Amino acid sequence: MAKQESKYGVQAGEPVGVIAAQSVGEPGTQMVLRTFHFAGIAASIATSGLPRIIELLDAKKTPSTPISKIYLNESSKKSFAKADEVAKKISEIEMRSITRRIVEDFSKGKILVMLNAQAMQAADLTAGHAAARLKKDLGLDAKVGKHGNIVIGTHTKNLKEVRAIAVKLTKSIVNGIEGAGRAMVAQDQKTQEFYVESAGSNIEPMMEIDGVDSSRIYTNDIFEMYRVFGIEAARTTLALELKKTLEEQEISVNERHIALIADAMTSSGTIQSIGRHGLVGKKESVFARAAFEETVKHLINAAAFGQIDYMRGVTENILVGKQIPLGTGSVKLSIKREEGKKKK
Amino acid sequence: MVKISDKCYVHLNGKAIGYVSNPQAYVKEVRTARRKGLISGEVNVVYMEKLNEIHINTDRGRARKPYIIVEEGKSRFTKELAEKLEKKEIDFAYLIRSGIVEFLDAEEEENAVVAMTESEVNGDTTHLEVDPVSIFGFTVNTAPYPEANNVARHLMFASYIKQAQGLYATNFNLRFESRAYILFYPQAPLVSTSTYEALKLSRHASGQNFVVALSTFYGYNMQDAVVLNKAAVDRGLARSMFYKTYSDEERRYPGGQKDVFKIPPATTEGYLGEHAYSKLSDDGVIEPEMQVEEGDVLIGKVAPPRFLEESIGAGGLEEKTRDDSTTLKPGEGGVVDDVIFTESPGATRIVKVRVRSLRIPEAGDKFGSRHGQKGVVALIVPHEDMPFTENGVVPDLLLNPHGIPSRMTFGHLLETLAGKASAMKGTRTDGTAFTQTGSDRLDEYGKIIEAHGFDKYGEEVLYDGVTGRPFKAKLFTGVVYYNRLHHMVSNKMQVRSRGTVQILTHQPTEGKARLGGLRFGEMERDVLVAYGASLLLKERMLDQSDKATVLICKECGSIGYRDYAKRINICPLCNSNNLVEVEISYAFKLLLDEIKSLHIRPQVGIEE
Repeated sequence: MAKQESKYGVQAGEPVGVIAAQSVGEPGTQMVLRTFHFAGIAASIATSGLPRIIELLDAKKTPSTPISKIYLNESSKKSFAKADEVAKKISEIEMRSITRRIVEDFSKGKILVMLNAQAMQAADLTAGHAAARLKKDLGLDAKVGKHGNIVIGTHTKNLKEVRAIAVKLTKSIVNGIEGAGRAMVAQDQKTQEFYVESAGSNIEPMMEIDGVDSSRIYTNDIFEMYRVFGIEAARTTLALELKKTLEEQEISVNERHIALIADAMTSSGTIQSIGRHGLVGKKESVFARAAFEETVKHLINAAAFGQIDYMRGVTENILVGKQIPLGTGSVKLSIKREEGKKKK
Repeated sequence: MVKISDKCYVHLNGKAIGYVSNPQAYVKEVRTARRKGLISGEVNVVYMEKLNEIHINTDRGRARKPYIIVEEGKSRFTKELAEKLEKKEIDFAYLIRSGIVEFLDAEEEENAVVAMTESEVNGDTTHLEVDPVSIFGFTVNTAPYPEANNVARHLMFASYIKQAQGLYATNFNLRFESRAYILFYPQAPLVSTSTYEALKLSRHASGQNFVVALSTFYGYNMQDAVVLNKAAVDRGLARSMFYKTYSDEERRYPGGQKDVFKIPPATTEGYLGEHAYSKLSDDGVIEPEMQVEEGDVLIGKVAPPRFLEESIGAGGLEEKTRDDSTTLKPGEGGVVDDVIFTESPGATRIVKVRVRSLRIPEAGDKFGSRHGQKGVVALIVPHEDMPFTENGVVPDLLLNPHGIPSRMTFGHLLETLAGKASAMKGTRTDGTAFTQTGSDRLDEYGKIIEAHGFDKYGEEVLYDGVTGRPFKAKLFTGVVYYNRLHHMVSNKMQVRSRGTVQILTHQPTEGKARLGGLRFGEMERDVLVAYGASLLLKERMLDQSDKATVLICKECGSIGYRDYAKRINICPLCNSNNLVEVEISYAFKLLLDEIKSLHIRPQVGIEE
């Protein structure tokens, strides 16, 4: 026991969770008023401050502003041109952003896509490129026609089918990776290396691209990290994101408190939120859950299934008026009954 | 043909009524008509360029403010008119009638270019402020030098002045206010403003001119605390009287029953004991000039029982009654000032008893200047221990200088200096906003002070009353008008070690009126949990709260009882006698009871 304690620096029975909660919660109260600062580059418009903290602790399935950082391998990271090439492959361009008009010719079963030359130029795209992508993704017979328009043959004259394809067209992507958002080349301040930053997150296909260092790819979407790399990566990302958000607000919280929160949220192997649907809702004690939220639901379930409260937590022990099993209450003194009896 | 985009919609009180093609000319026409008196002066019109919309407002509830009309760089309010106004040949209404002054609402102000002073008027100017001070409200303008203070401090002053004790009404001794505060020696402020004088506020002033030194005092005025001079307090500084009125009514009930004012007979339900009623006169009500303290009855009253059965039951001839007297609450006391009997519209008798009590400033009372600078008295220092100047002047109040820079209440410093100059010269100073520049004011007051042989910046050498040695730094001293605010400890202080508990939960009551304790809340609980102080936590949550000892059946886990006649413990469910005494919170017992009431049987397992 003594050996174990000296190894970890925290004594047995120390309520680390409560301390972590207080250490994050107290400076958190000062945060509310100081959100919505600095205007600037696209990347910094990411949700920050309290809304982001809430998003992380509630374990929202998708972040409101997903951002991914795609680092490049040794051969590509020194050159802007190579980085830009990768960025072009990633940057998501939707069909609708480059089209001027879509005309359906139901008699011939053709769809004419009139492109917006200005938007095409801005996106550095050619009609041929777009047509090829449509062919690849949707399996359509897309060709470049007169005046740089795209002509799509549908092989059907059915009104409904033609319309369905036209609708699909507007939603389709002509360049980049779906969900990746706009990607741009950025430079690391410390190492001077180039990397790609995109305003979306879909890292699996990104990793396939030539020149991408898939071992360093990063997204602020915790669930995506979990899907692609597993729970440990999700835990690290969660802790990193929490730490980053707090640091942005010039709030200094010891890393260990944040790490503990991330640990608690991922300890089950999946990501759990802090709240009635997550950690608190999965507490062992009926009383502790009933004391938090949805009192009636928990009591009814406990009654229906004949649950037993083993009184091992803090809340339930305070409720009945027992000493809590933490701190000075974590030690128990027992006397061997037999010896006492012998003396009689 | 007018294009849609060229149409300028006209909204009357928020409703579109049509469109015009030349909005500027239209708006001008409406204004001209208003100034000529062809349409009501209460009409306001605005052309919103960005929206290309005209709004005409004639409805009620708009705040409007008067402005002098300016045309082609010339104010319509000429010197001749000013002279006539001075001689009272014309009045303000004349100026409005003849299109010299008009009222603008918040929307029309957006179209106006307003000059603060006549010298600022140029070709673009459309209006002139009647007086530059009118950019502030009435309340703010009663404080001196508002232009030298931070806006947030104006708002704070405006709320403090409402809490100031003063001479709120000269007939206060005839009035029965539920709560009233009268300052013994109200003074007109040495530094006043035109608005203050116009409102004649010095006739019922609400403060006193304090001699203030910007000085610390052995740490007793940290964090907005102030130190007062005992001698000044003894001479009546900020001394006031607190009046509180208690009233009761002889109500009539359906069934012909009635409340009666009288000394309750000992048979009354809820009788408080002979002693409590000893100060009442024969009519059941206390007499004026009687000393009263907590627990004393002011108005003796008996009421019919709450429920009908009680009066019929028992078979006695005598009708049962209930005591419903008005008693002084804990912490209250004083002298009965006046008693009146009146009648309500329903012809029931009403008694009003006004109790007065002296409020001498003490540690814990709240004071504030006219610059949003409040402070609580932390110490009242004997005269001989207070710092004193070369001339033997001892300040009334010591204000901590750390409270000034971060609040940016420069007006407070200006008033200190102006107050000092006024006191020396023997005249009051005008501190109306925008009448002078700050540096001109400093020069003016500095000269007066210098002429009387003092430092022109208001700084003086002060000697420590305790050691007799001079302070190393010169201290800024002067005279500031202070208000005594009505938050006083003697009305708020409360202590409890043990006392009443709530019937339902067996937990201590809350609030001063119920002699309650201070809540040890969830966050406070978390602090003890975080510290690991499990026994202290248990003491707070159980031993000093709602500890209950119950008997729990070892066989079936339900709550049993002790049969004192047979001297055994019994479990009513399984008839077992094998029960143990367990200490639990009453709240938990209540929870078990409530669960039982839902036909769910909770069982408690006992571990040894």
